[in-house]
Amino acid sequence: MDFGSFLTNPEIKVKIVTYRDIFQDKAMLENRFGEEYRNRSAIIKLDPADLKQLNLKIGDTVTIKNSFGSVVVKAEESGYETPHRGIAYMPKGPWSITLISDETGGTGVPKFKDISVTITSAKGEKVTEIESLF
Amino acid sequence: MEKNYHVCTGCGLLCDDIEVEAEKNIINKVLTACRIGVAHMKEGKGEAIFRVDNKPVDEAVAISEAATILKNAKNPLIFGLGASTNETQKIAIELAKKINATLDDTSSFCLGSLVEAIIREKIKTCTLDEVRNKADVIIFWGTDPSDSHPRHLSKYSYFPRGKEKQRGWEEERTAIAVDVRKSHTAKICGNYFFQIPPKGDAEFIDALIAGLSGKLPKTSYNYPPKKILELANILKGAKFGVIFAGRGLVNSLENLEPIFRLMKALNEKANFHLMPMVGSCNTMGFNENLFAETGYVNSVKFENGTVLHGPEYSIVESLKAKTVDAALIIGSDPFSILPGSIVKNLLEIPVVSIDSYETLTSRNSKVYINTAVSGVEAGGTATRMDRKKVSFEPFIETNHPSEETILKKIMEAL
Ligand code: SF4
Repeated sequence: MDFGSFLTNPEIKVKIVTYRDIFQDKAMLENRFGEEYRNRSAIIKLDPADLKQLNLKIGDTVTIKNSFGSVVVKAEESGYETPHRGIAYMPKGPWSITLISDETGGTGVPKFKDISVTITSAKGEKVTEIESLF
Repeated sequence: MEKNYHVCTGCGLLCDDIEVEAEKNIINKVLTACRIGVAHMKEGKGEAIFRVDNKPVDEAVAISEAATILKNAKNPLIFGLGASTNETQKIAIELAKKINATLDDTSSFCLGSLVEAIIREKIKTCTLDEVRNKADVIIFWGTDPSDSHPRHLSKYSYFPRGKEKQRGWEEERTAIAVDVRKSHTAKICGNYFFQIPPKGDAEFIDALIAGLSGKLPKTSYNYPPKKILELANILKGAKFGVIFAGRGLVNSLENLEPIFRLMKALNEKANFHLMPMVGSCNTMGFNENLFAETGYVNSVKFENGTVLHGPEYSIVESLKAKTVDAALIIGSDPFSILPGSIVKNLLEIPVVSIDSYETLTSRNSKVYINTAVSGVEAGGTATRMDRKKVSFEPFIETNHPSEETILKKIMEAL
Protein backbone atom coordinates (compact mmCIF):
# COMPACT_ATOMS: atom_id res chain seq x y z
CA MET A 1 0.00 0.00 0.00
CA ASP A 2 1.15 3.50 -0.76
CA PHE A 3 1.98 5.42 2.38
CA GLY A 4 1.22 8.69 0.56
CA SER A 5 -2.50 8.03 0.58
CA PHE A 6 -2.62 8.28 4.40
CA LEU A 7 -1.34 11.82 4.46
CA THR A 8 -3.80 14.68 4.59
CA ASN A 9 -2.07 16.23 1.64
CA PRO A 10 -1.08 13.15 -0.30
CA GLU A 11 2.11 13.17 -2.29
CA ILE A 12 3.06 11.02 -5.24
CA LYS A 13 6.36 10.39 -6.93
CA VAL A 14 6.43 10.41 -10.73
CA LYS A 15 8.83 10.50 -13.63
CA ILE A 16 8.16 13.21 -16.19
CA VAL A 17 8.39 12.69 -19.92
CA THR A 18 8.48 15.96 -21.87
CA TYR A 19 6.97 16.45 -25.31
CA ARG A 20 6.34 19.06 -27.97
CA ASP A 21 2.93 20.33 -28.91
CA ILE A 22 2.15 22.25 -32.09
CA PHE A 23 -0.53 24.39 -30.44
CA GLN A 24 1.89 25.35 -27.70
CA ASP A 25 4.61 26.24 -30.24
CA LYS A 26 2.14 28.37 -32.18
CA ALA A 27 1.12 30.19 -28.99
CA MET A 28 4.81 30.73 -28.21
CA LEU A 29 5.45 32.35 -31.58
CA GLU A 30 2.49 34.63 -31.07
CA ASN A 31 3.43 35.71 -27.56
CA ARG A 32 5.48 33.74 -25.12
CA PHE A 33 4.43 36.01 -22.28
CA GLY A 34 0.76 35.52 -23.07
CA GLU A 35 -1.99 33.54 -21.42
CA GLU A 36 -2.39 30.99 -24.20
CA TYR A 37 1.27 29.98 -24.03
CA ARG A 38 1.03 29.64 -20.25
CA ASN A 39 -2.18 27.59 -20.49
CA ARG A 40 -0.54 25.24 -22.95
CA SER A 41 2.81 24.98 -21.15
CA ALA A 42 2.11 25.06 -17.43
CA ILE A 43 0.32 21.72 -17.35
CA ILE A 44 1.05 18.15 -16.32
CA LYS A 45 -0.82 15.17 -17.72
CA LEU A 46 -1.39 12.39 -15.23
CA ASP A 47 -2.87 8.93 -15.13
CA PRO A 48 -6.47 9.12 -13.79
CA ALA A 49 -5.51 6.89 -10.86
CA ASP A 50 -2.71 9.27 -9.86
CA LEU A 51 -5.11 12.21 -10.05
CA LYS A 52 -7.50 10.33 -7.81
CA GLN A 53 -4.83 9.53 -5.28
CA LEU A 54 -4.04 13.24 -5.05
CA ASN A 55 -7.74 14.01 -4.55
CA LEU A 56 -7.72 16.22 -7.60
CA LYS A 57 -10.09 17.19 -10.32
CA ILE A 58 -8.97 18.05 -13.83
CA GLY A 59 -7.80 21.66 -13.87
CA ASP A 60 -6.78 21.82 -10.19
CA THR A 61 -3.29 23.11 -9.56
CA VAL A 62 -0.44 20.99 -8.26
CA THR A 63 3.03 21.71 -6.96
CA ILE A 64 5.73 19.76 -8.76
CA LYS A 65 8.99 19.68 -6.91
CA ASN A 66 12.46 18.23 -6.76
CA SER A 67 15.84 19.47 -5.58
CA PHE A 68 16.30 21.56 -8.73
CA GLY A 69 13.09 23.54 -8.71
CA SER A 70 9.43 23.83 -7.92
CA VAL A 71 6.52 25.00 -10.07
CA VAL A 72 2.76 25.21 -9.75
CA VAL A 73 0.91 24.00 -12.84
CA LYS A 74 -2.53 22.67 -13.77
CA ALA A 75 -3.19 18.94 -13.59
CA GLU A 76 -4.85 17.24 -16.52
CA GLU A 77 -5.72 13.70 -17.49
CA SER A 78 -3.45 12.26 -20.16
CA GLY A 79 -6.23 10.62 -22.14
CA TYR A 80 -3.99 7.65 -22.99
CA GLU A 81 -5.82 4.37 -22.96
CA THR A 82 -2.89 2.39 -21.52
CA PRO A 83 -2.45 3.06 -17.79
CA HIS A 84 0.80 4.82 -16.91
CA ARG A 85 0.78 5.38 -13.15
CA GLY A 86 4.00 6.98 -12.00
CA ILE A 87 4.71 8.50 -15.40
CA ALA A 88 3.47 11.99 -16.22
CA TYR A 89 3.77 14.14 -19.30
CA MET A 90 4.68 17.82 -19.57
CA PRO A 91 5.21 20.00 -22.64
CA LYS A 92 8.75 21.24 -23.19
CA GLY A 93 9.27 24.82 -22.07
CA PRO A 94 10.20 27.13 -19.22
CA TRP A 95 8.05 25.34 -16.62
CA SER A 96 9.23 21.78 -17.22
CA ILE A 97 12.90 22.67 -17.64
CA THR A 98 13.12 24.18 -14.16
CA LEU A 99 12.87 20.58 -12.94
CA ILE A 100 15.79 19.15 -14.92
CA SER A 101 18.94 18.11 -13.08
CA ASP A 102 22.17 20.05 -13.56
CA GLU A 103 24.03 16.72 -13.48
CA THR A 104 25.56 16.05 -16.88
CA GLY A 105 28.59 13.89 -16.14
CA GLY A 106 30.63 16.43 -18.08
CA THR A 107 29.00 15.43 -21.36
CA GLY A 108 27.35 18.76 -22.18
CA VAL A 109 24.00 17.00 -22.34
CA PRO A 110 21.53 17.40 -19.45
CA LYS A 111 19.37 14.45 -18.51
CA PHE A 112 16.29 15.75 -20.30
CA LYS A 113 14.67 12.32 -20.17
CA ASP A 114 15.22 11.68 -16.50
CA ILE A 115 13.04 13.97 -14.40
CA SER A 116 11.92 12.58 -11.04
CA VAL A 117 9.58 14.73 -8.99
CA THR A 118 7.02 14.69 -6.23
CA ILE A 119 3.57 16.09 -6.80
CA THR A 120 1.22 17.49 -4.19
CA SER A 121 -2.09 19.24 -4.47
CA ALA A 122 -1.94 23.04 -4.65
CA LYS A 123 -5.68 23.55 -4.86
CA GLY A 124 -6.56 27.23 -5.01
CA GLU A 125 -2.99 28.32 -5.76
CA LYS A 126 -2.16 30.12 -8.98
CA VAL A 127 -0.02 28.72 -11.75
CA THR A 128 3.58 30.00 -11.58
CA GLU A 129 3.99 33.06 -13.82
CA ILE A 130 6.65 32.85 -16.51
CA GLU A 131 8.30 36.00 -15.18
CA SER A 132 8.85 34.46 -11.76
CA LEU A 133 10.57 31.33 -13.08
CA PHE A 134 13.93 33.12 -13.19
CA MET B 1 -1.31 42.70 -54.14
CA GLU B 2 1.61 40.26 -54.24
CA LYS B 3 1.32 36.55 -54.82
CA ASN B 4 4.43 34.46 -55.07
CA TYR B 5 6.09 31.38 -53.63
CA HIS B 6 8.05 31.97 -50.45
CA VAL B 7 10.13 29.95 -48.03
CA CYS B 8 8.98 29.32 -44.46
CA THR B 9 11.79 29.34 -41.89
CA GLY B 10 9.55 27.94 -39.17
CA CYS B 11 11.32 24.57 -38.93
CA GLY B 12 13.99 22.35 -40.50
CA LEU B 13 11.75 21.53 -43.46
CA LEU B 14 12.12 25.02 -45.00
CA CYS B 15 8.96 24.56 -47.09
CA ASP B 16 9.42 26.50 -50.32
CA ASP B 17 5.84 26.45 -51.60
CA ILE B 18 4.29 29.08 -49.36
CA GLU B 19 1.90 31.58 -50.87
CA VAL B 20 1.41 34.86 -49.13
CA GLU B 21 -1.07 37.62 -49.70
CA ALA B 22 0.44 40.89 -48.61
CA GLU B 23 -0.68 44.44 -49.03
CA LYS B 24 1.18 47.57 -47.98
CA ASN B 25 3.77 45.51 -46.15
CA ILE B 26 1.18 43.70 -44.07
CA ILE B 27 0.66 39.98 -44.46
CA ASN B 28 -3.03 39.26 -44.73
CA LYS B 29 -2.93 35.58 -45.55
CA VAL B 30 -0.40 32.78 -45.47
CA LEU B 31 -1.46 29.81 -47.56
CA THR B 32 0.01 26.28 -47.69
CA ALA B 33 2.00 26.69 -44.47
CA CYS B 34 1.18 24.77 -41.30
CA ARG B 35 -0.03 26.31 -38.05
CA ILE B 36 3.53 27.01 -36.90
CA GLY B 37 4.51 28.45 -40.26
CA VAL B 38 1.54 30.80 -40.34
CA ALA B 39 2.24 32.04 -36.80
CA HIS B 40 5.93 32.40 -37.65
CA MET B 41 5.36 34.36 -40.84
CA LYS B 42 2.44 36.45 -39.70
CA GLU B 43 3.90 37.59 -36.42
CA GLY B 44 3.03 41.29 -36.54
CA LYS B 45 5.94 43.58 -35.86
CA GLY B 46 5.93 47.05 -34.46
CA GLU B 47 8.82 49.45 -34.36
CA ALA B 48 12.37 48.16 -34.21
CA ILE B 49 13.49 47.63 -30.62
CA PHE B 50 16.95 48.33 -29.23
CA ARG B 51 17.43 48.18 -25.49
CA VAL B 52 20.26 48.57 -23.03
CA ASP B 53 19.52 47.75 -19.39
CA ASN B 54 15.87 47.40 -20.38
CA LYS B 55 15.68 51.01 -21.58
CA PRO B 56 15.05 51.93 -25.21
CA VAL B 57 18.09 53.30 -27.04
CA ASP B 58 18.96 53.85 -30.68
CA GLU B 59 20.76 51.30 -32.83
CA ALA B 60 24.21 52.89 -32.54
CA VAL B 61 24.12 52.84 -28.73
CA ALA B 62 23.02 49.20 -28.66
CA ILE B 63 25.77 48.17 -31.09
CA SER B 64 28.45 50.05 -29.20
CA GLU B 65 27.33 48.59 -25.86
CA ALA B 66 27.33 45.08 -27.36
CA ALA B 67 30.83 45.62 -28.73
CA THR B 68 32.07 46.91 -25.36
CA ILE B 69 30.70 43.84 -23.57
CA LEU B 70 32.43 41.51 -26.02
CA LYS B 71 35.68 43.49 -25.96
CA ASN B 72 35.86 43.46 -22.18
CA ALA B 73 35.16 39.76 -21.87
CA LYS B 74 38.07 37.34 -21.47
CA ASN B 75 36.06 34.36 -22.63
CA PRO B 76 32.80 35.33 -24.30
CA LEU B 77 30.27 32.72 -25.41
CA ILE B 78 28.50 32.95 -28.75
CA PHE B 79 25.43 30.74 -28.85
CA GLY B 80 22.38 30.11 -31.03
CA LEU B 81 22.37 30.71 -34.78
CA GLY B 82 20.04 27.77 -35.52
CA ALA B 83 17.57 30.08 -37.22
CA SER B 84 20.20 32.29 -38.84
CA THR B 85 21.15 32.29 -42.50
CA ASN B 86 24.36 30.63 -43.66
CA GLU B 87 25.74 34.10 -44.34
CA THR B 88 25.06 35.22 -40.75
CA GLN B 89 26.55 32.03 -39.36
CA LYS B 90 29.78 32.55 -41.28
CA ILE B 91 30.11 36.08 -39.91
CA ALA B 92 29.47 34.75 -36.40
CA ILE B 93 32.29 32.23 -36.86
CA GLU B 94 34.60 35.07 -37.95
CA LEU B 95 33.50 37.10 -34.96
CA ALA B 96 34.19 34.17 -32.64
CA LYS B 97 37.70 33.86 -34.07
CA LYS B 98 38.35 37.55 -33.67
CA ILE B 99 37.37 37.70 -30.00
CA ASN B 100 38.63 34.24 -29.00
CA ALA B 101 35.11 33.12 -28.14
CA THR B 102 33.53 29.84 -27.20
CA LEU B 103 31.01 29.00 -29.94
CA ASP B 104 28.16 26.54 -29.63
CA ASP B 105 24.59 25.89 -30.76
CA THR B 106 21.67 23.77 -29.53
CA SER B 107 22.97 20.72 -31.39
CA SER B 108 25.48 20.11 -28.56
CA PHE B 109 22.62 18.84 -26.41
CA CYS B 110 20.24 17.80 -29.21
CA LEU B 111 21.21 15.94 -32.38
CA GLY B 112 24.77 17.20 -33.01
CA SER B 113 26.47 13.83 -32.59
CA LEU B 114 24.18 12.26 -35.17
CA VAL B 115 24.50 15.19 -37.58
CA GLU B 116 28.28 14.90 -37.31
CA ALA B 117 28.07 11.19 -38.16
CA ILE B 118 26.01 12.14 -41.24
CA ILE B 119 28.45 14.86 -42.31
CA ARG B 120 31.36 12.45 -41.85
CA GLU B 121 29.43 9.91 -43.93
CA LYS B 122 29.44 7.29 -41.19
CA ILE B 123 25.72 6.69 -41.71
CA LYS B 124 23.85 6.27 -44.97
CA THR B 125 21.40 9.11 -45.51
CA CYS B 126 19.14 10.39 -48.30
CA THR B 127 17.13 13.45 -49.26
CA LEU B 128 13.53 14.27 -48.42
CA ASP B 129 12.72 14.21 -52.14
CA GLU B 130 13.98 10.62 -52.33
CA VAL B 131 11.81 9.77 -49.34
CA ARG B 132 8.82 11.27 -51.08
CA ASN B 133 9.48 9.40 -54.30
CA LYS B 134 10.75 6.07 -53.06
CA ALA B 135 10.40 5.32 -49.34
CA ASP B 136 8.32 2.26 -48.48
CA VAL B 137 9.20 1.76 -44.81
CA ILE B 138 9.42 4.87 -42.64
CA ILE B 139 10.36 4.80 -38.96
CA PHE B 140 9.81 7.77 -36.66
CA TRP B 141 12.04 7.05 -33.68
CA GLY B 142 11.86 9.34 -30.66
CA THR B 143 10.35 12.08 -32.76
CA ASP B 144 6.90 13.50 -33.39
CA PRO B 145 6.99 15.44 -36.65
CA SER B 146 3.22 16.01 -36.54
CA ASP B 147 4.03 18.52 -33.79
CA SER B 148 7.61 19.57 -34.55
CA HIS B 149 7.75 19.51 -38.39
CA PRO B 150 4.05 19.62 -39.15
CA ARG B 151 4.19 19.09 -42.93
CA HIS B 152 6.74 16.28 -42.78
CA LEU B 153 4.24 13.45 -43.25
CA SER B 154 2.08 15.20 -45.81
CA LYS B 155 4.83 16.68 -47.97
CA TYR B 156 7.47 13.95 -47.81
CA SER B 157 7.37 10.95 -45.59
CA TYR B 158 3.98 9.26 -45.59
CA PHE B 159 1.01 10.69 -47.43
CA PRO B 160 2.35 11.91 -50.79
CA ARG B 161 2.04 9.97 -54.00
CA GLY B 162 5.67 10.09 -55.00
CA LYS B 163 7.11 9.17 -58.40
CA GLU B 164 7.57 5.52 -57.52
CA LYS B 165 4.88 5.47 -54.87
CA GLN B 166 1.73 6.31 -56.80
CA ARG B 167 -0.53 4.30 -54.54
CA GLY B 168 0.69 6.24 -51.50
CA TRP B 169 0.28 5.41 -47.88
CA GLU B 170 -2.80 3.22 -48.29
CA GLU B 171 -0.88 0.48 -50.06
CA GLU B 172 2.73 1.32 -50.59
CA ARG B 173 4.10 2.82 -47.42
CA THR B 174 4.37 1.52 -43.88
CA ALA B 175 4.89 4.12 -41.15
CA ILE B 176 6.28 2.95 -37.83
CA ALA B 177 6.73 4.88 -34.58
CA VAL B 178 9.01 3.94 -31.71
CA ASP B 179 8.47 6.23 -28.75
CA VAL B 180 7.92 6.46 -25.01
CA ARG B 181 4.61 8.18 -25.58
CA LYS B 182 1.69 7.83 -27.96
CA SER B 183 2.35 11.03 -29.90
CA HIS B 184 0.20 12.37 -32.71
CA THR B 185 2.60 10.74 -35.16
CA ALA B 186 2.37 7.44 -33.26
CA LYS B 187 -1.42 7.59 -33.58
CA ILE B 188 -1.10 7.86 -37.35
CA CYS B 189 1.12 4.76 -37.31
CA GLY B 190 -1.74 2.77 -35.75
CA ASN B 191 -0.73 -0.81 -35.02
CA TYR B 192 2.85 -0.04 -35.91
CA PHE B 193 3.41 1.99 -32.78
CA PHE B 194 5.99 0.43 -30.49
CA GLN B 195 5.85 1.96 -27.04
CA ILE B 196 9.01 1.50 -25.03
CA PRO B 197 9.90 2.68 -21.52
CA PRO B 198 12.03 5.83 -21.04
CA LYS B 199 15.68 4.97 -21.75
CA GLY B 200 14.62 1.64 -23.24
CA ASP B 201 15.90 2.49 -26.76
CA ALA B 202 19.31 0.77 -26.68
CA GLU B 203 17.80 -2.49 -25.49
CA PHE B 204 15.04 -2.27 -28.05
CA ILE B 205 17.64 -1.77 -30.79
CA ASP B 206 19.59 -4.85 -29.71
CA ALA B 207 16.40 -6.90 -29.48
CA LEU B 208 15.49 -5.74 -32.97
CA ILE B 209 18.95 -6.67 -34.29
CA ALA B 210 18.48 -10.14 -32.75
CA GLY B 211 15.07 -10.32 -34.43
CA LEU B 212 16.56 -9.39 -37.80
CA SER B 213 18.79 -12.45 -37.68
CA GLY B 214 15.99 -14.70 -36.52
CA LYS B 215 17.05 -14.90 -32.87
CA LEU B 216 14.68 -14.50 -29.95
CA PRO B 217 14.52 -10.80 -29.08
CA LYS B 218 14.80 -10.15 -25.34
CA THR B 219 14.45 -6.99 -23.29
CA SER B 220 14.60 -6.47 -19.52
CA TYR B 221 11.17 -4.81 -19.78
CA ASN B 222 9.68 -7.89 -21.43
CA TYR B 223 8.63 -6.35 -24.70
CA PRO B 224 6.57 -9.04 -26.46
CA PRO B 225 9.13 -10.89 -28.67
CA LYS B 226 6.41 -11.60 -31.23
CA LYS B 227 5.89 -7.90 -31.87
CA ILE B 228 9.62 -7.28 -32.29
CA LEU B 229 9.87 -10.20 -34.74
CA GLU B 230 6.93 -8.79 -36.66
CA LEU B 231 8.71 -5.42 -36.87
CA ALA B 232 11.97 -7.08 -37.94
CA ASN B 233 10.13 -8.79 -40.78
CA ILE B 234 8.69 -5.55 -42.09
CA LEU B 235 12.12 -3.90 -41.96
CA LYS B 236 13.76 -6.81 -43.78
CA GLY B 237 11.43 -6.29 -46.71
CA ALA B 238 12.22 -2.58 -47.15
CA LYS B 239 13.35 -1.54 -50.61
CA PHE B 240 13.88 2.02 -49.49
CA GLY B 241 13.71 2.33 -45.71
CA VAL B 242 14.36 5.44 -43.70
CA ILE B 243 14.71 6.12 -39.99
CA PHE B 244 13.85 9.63 -38.87
CA ALA B 245 15.76 9.92 -35.62
CA GLY B 246 14.76 12.46 -32.98
CA ARG B 247 16.02 13.68 -29.66
CA GLY B 248 13.96 11.04 -27.90
CA LEU B 249 16.29 8.44 -29.37
CA VAL B 250 19.62 10.29 -29.22
CA ASN B 251 19.14 11.69 -25.70
CA SER B 252 18.33 8.25 -24.35
CA LEU B 253 21.55 6.64 -25.62
CA GLU B 254 24.98 6.88 -23.98
CA ASN B 255 26.60 7.03 -27.43
CA LEU B 256 25.72 6.33 -31.05
CA GLU B 257 27.02 2.73 -31.15
CA PRO B 258 23.53 1.17 -30.98
CA ILE B 259 22.47 3.26 -34.00
CA PHE B 260 25.58 2.22 -35.96
CA ARG B 261 24.88 -1.43 -35.08
CA LEU B 262 21.26 -1.16 -36.15
CA MET B 263 22.07 0.54 -39.47
CA LYS B 264 24.65 -2.13 -40.24
CA ALA B 265 22.24 -4.95 -39.44
CA LEU B 266 19.44 -3.33 -41.46
CA ASN B 267 21.66 -2.78 -44.48
CA GLU B 268 22.76 -6.42 -44.45
CA LYS B 269 19.13 -7.41 -45.04
CA ALA B 270 17.57 -4.37 -46.71
CA ASN B 271 18.23 -0.81 -47.85
CA PHE B 272 18.04 1.71 -45.00
CA HIS B 273 18.82 5.40 -44.59
CA LEU B 274 18.76 7.66 -41.56
CA MET B 275 17.98 11.32 -41.20
CA PRO B 276 18.22 13.36 -37.98
CA MET B 277 15.04 15.35 -37.28
CA VAL B 278 16.85 18.66 -37.07
CA GLY B 279 14.43 21.14 -35.51
CA SER B 280 15.42 24.70 -36.34
CA CYS B 281 15.49 25.95 -39.90
CA ASN B 282 19.26 26.20 -40.17
CA THR B 283 20.88 24.13 -37.44
CA MET B 284 22.12 21.87 -40.22
CA GLY B 285 23.75 24.89 -41.88
CA PHE B 286 25.48 25.88 -38.65
CA ASN B 287 26.85 22.38 -38.17
CA GLU B 288 28.08 22.23 -41.77
CA ASN B 289 29.60 25.71 -41.72
CA LEU B 290 31.44 25.17 -38.47
CA PHE B 291 32.59 21.73 -39.62
CA ALA B 292 33.99 23.22 -42.84
CA GLU B 293 35.90 25.79 -40.81
CA THR B 294 37.09 23.71 -37.84
CA GLY B 295 36.34 20.02 -38.37
CA TYR B 296 33.78 20.10 -35.52
CA VAL B 297 30.04 20.70 -35.61
CA ASN B 298 29.68 22.50 -32.26
CA SER B 299 31.34 23.14 -28.84
CA VAL B 300 34.51 24.91 -29.98
CA LYS B 301 36.71 27.58 -28.52
CA PHE B 302 38.93 29.76 -30.65
CA GLU B 303 42.26 30.74 -29.14
CA ASN B 304 44.66 32.90 -31.12
CA GLY B 305 44.23 31.01 -34.35
CA THR B 306 43.82 27.52 -32.87
CA VAL B 307 40.57 25.65 -32.26
CA LEU B 308 39.83 23.76 -29.07
CA HIS B 309 36.92 21.33 -28.99
CA GLY B 310 35.13 19.20 -26.42
CA PRO B 311 32.06 19.07 -24.19
CA GLU B 312 33.72 21.62 -21.87
CA TYR B 313 33.10 24.18 -24.64
CA SER B 314 29.40 23.37 -24.90
CA ILE B 315 26.94 25.95 -23.59
CA VAL B 316 25.87 23.57 -20.83
CA GLU B 317 29.33 22.87 -19.40
CA SER B 318 30.68 26.37 -19.91
CA LEU B 319 27.73 27.88 -18.06
CA LYS B 320 27.84 25.21 -15.41
CA ALA B 321 31.55 25.70 -14.76
CA LYS B 322 31.16 29.47 -15.16
CA THR B 323 34.10 29.62 -17.56
CA VAL B 324 32.42 32.20 -19.82
CA ASP B 325 32.13 35.81 -18.70
CA ALA B 326 29.76 37.29 -21.31
CA ALA B 327 27.33 35.90 -23.87
CA LEU B 328 26.12 36.85 -27.30
CA ILE B 329 22.94 34.88 -27.99
CA ILE B 330 21.59 34.95 -31.51
CA GLY B 331 18.07 33.76 -32.33
CA SER B 332 17.78 31.41 -29.38
CA ASP B 333 16.17 31.37 -25.95
CA PRO B 334 18.28 29.23 -23.60
CA PHE B 335 15.95 30.14 -20.71
CA SER B 336 13.23 28.10 -22.41
CA ILE B 337 15.33 25.12 -23.43
CA LEU B 338 18.05 24.50 -20.85
CA PRO B 339 17.72 23.31 -17.24
CA GLY B 340 16.94 26.22 -14.94
CA SER B 341 19.70 24.99 -12.62
CA ILE B 342 22.28 25.67 -15.35
CA VAL B 343 20.87 28.57 -17.31
CA LYS B 344 20.48 30.71 -14.20
CA ASN B 345 24.23 31.32 -14.40
CA LEU B 346 23.51 33.50 -17.43
CA LEU B 347 21.96 35.98 -15.01
CA GLU B 348 25.42 36.61 -13.53
CA ILE B 349 27.11 37.73 -16.77
CA PRO B 350 26.34 40.44 -19.32
CA VAL B 351 24.21 39.05 -22.13
CA VAL B 352 23.60 40.47 -25.60
CA SER B 353 20.45 39.03 -27.15
CA ILE B 354 19.80 39.33 -30.88
CA ASP B 355 16.39 37.92 -31.75
CA SER B 356 13.36 38.53 -33.89
CA TYR B 357 11.16 37.66 -30.91
CA GLU B 358 10.96 38.93 -27.36
CA THR B 359 12.02 35.99 -25.16
CA LEU B 360 12.97 35.22 -21.57
CA THR B 361 16.57 35.64 -22.70
CA SER B 362 15.95 39.03 -24.31
CA ARG B 363 14.22 40.19 -21.13
CA ASN B 364 17.16 39.05 -19.03
CA SER B 365 19.85 40.56 -21.21
CA LYS B 366 21.85 43.75 -20.88
CA VAL B 367 21.53 44.52 -24.58
CA TYR B 368 18.60 43.45 -26.76
CA ILE B 369 18.46 43.99 -30.50
CA ASN B 370 15.25 43.00 -32.24
CA THR B 371 15.97 41.72 -35.75
CA ALA B 372 14.12 40.89 -38.95
CA VAL B 373 12.52 37.46 -39.53
CA SER B 374 14.47 35.43 -42.12
CA GLY B 375 12.45 34.54 -45.18
CA VAL B 376 9.92 37.28 -44.44
CA GLU B 377 11.89 40.43 -43.78
CA ALA B 378 15.44 39.29 -44.55
CA GLY B 379 16.95 37.14 -47.30
CA GLY B 380 19.77 34.64 -47.49
CA THR B 381 20.31 30.90 -47.68
CA ALA B 382 19.67 28.07 -45.25
CA THR B 383 20.29 24.34 -45.27
CA ARG B 384 17.32 22.01 -44.99
CA MET B 385 17.42 19.04 -42.61
CA ASP B 386 18.47 16.81 -45.53
CA ARG B 387 21.34 19.20 -46.40
CA LYS B 388 19.67 20.76 -49.42
CA LYS B 389 20.42 24.48 -49.82
CA VAL B 390 17.40 26.77 -49.95
CA SER B 391 17.57 30.47 -50.69
CA PHE B 392 15.00 33.14 -49.99
CA GLU B 393 14.32 36.80 -50.56
CA PRO B 394 12.58 39.18 -48.19
CA PHE B 395 9.09 40.20 -49.29
CA ILE B 396 8.13 42.59 -46.52
CA GLU B 397 9.97 45.85 -46.04
CA THR B 398 11.00 46.41 -42.49
CA ASN B 399 12.87 48.80 -40.29
CA HIS B 400 14.21 45.84 -38.32
CA PRO B 401 17.85 45.21 -39.17
CA SER B 402 18.84 41.70 -40.23
CA GLU B 403 21.07 39.60 -37.96
CA GLU B 404 23.68 39.77 -40.68
CA THR B 405 23.76 43.58 -40.64
CA ILE B 406 23.92 43.70 -36.85
CA LEU B 407 26.78 41.20 -36.61
CA LYS B 408 28.72 43.11 -39.27
CA LYS B 409 28.26 46.33 -37.35
CA ILE B 410 29.36 44.73 -34.09
CA MET B 411 32.45 43.40 -35.88
CA GLU B 412 33.25 46.90 -37.15
CA ALA B 413 32.70 48.43 -33.73
CA LEU B 414 35.25 46.05 -32.27
S1 SF4 C 1 6.41 22.44 -41.83
FE1 SF4 C 1 7.99 23.83 -41.02
S2 SF4 C 1 8.80 24.91 -42.82
FE2 SF4 C 1 6.86 23.91 -43.45
S3 SF4 C 1 5.29 25.49 -43.15
FE3 SF4 C 1 5.36 24.33 -41.23
S4 SF4 C 1 6.86 25.42 -39.92
FE4 SF4 C 1 7.11 26.17 -42.02
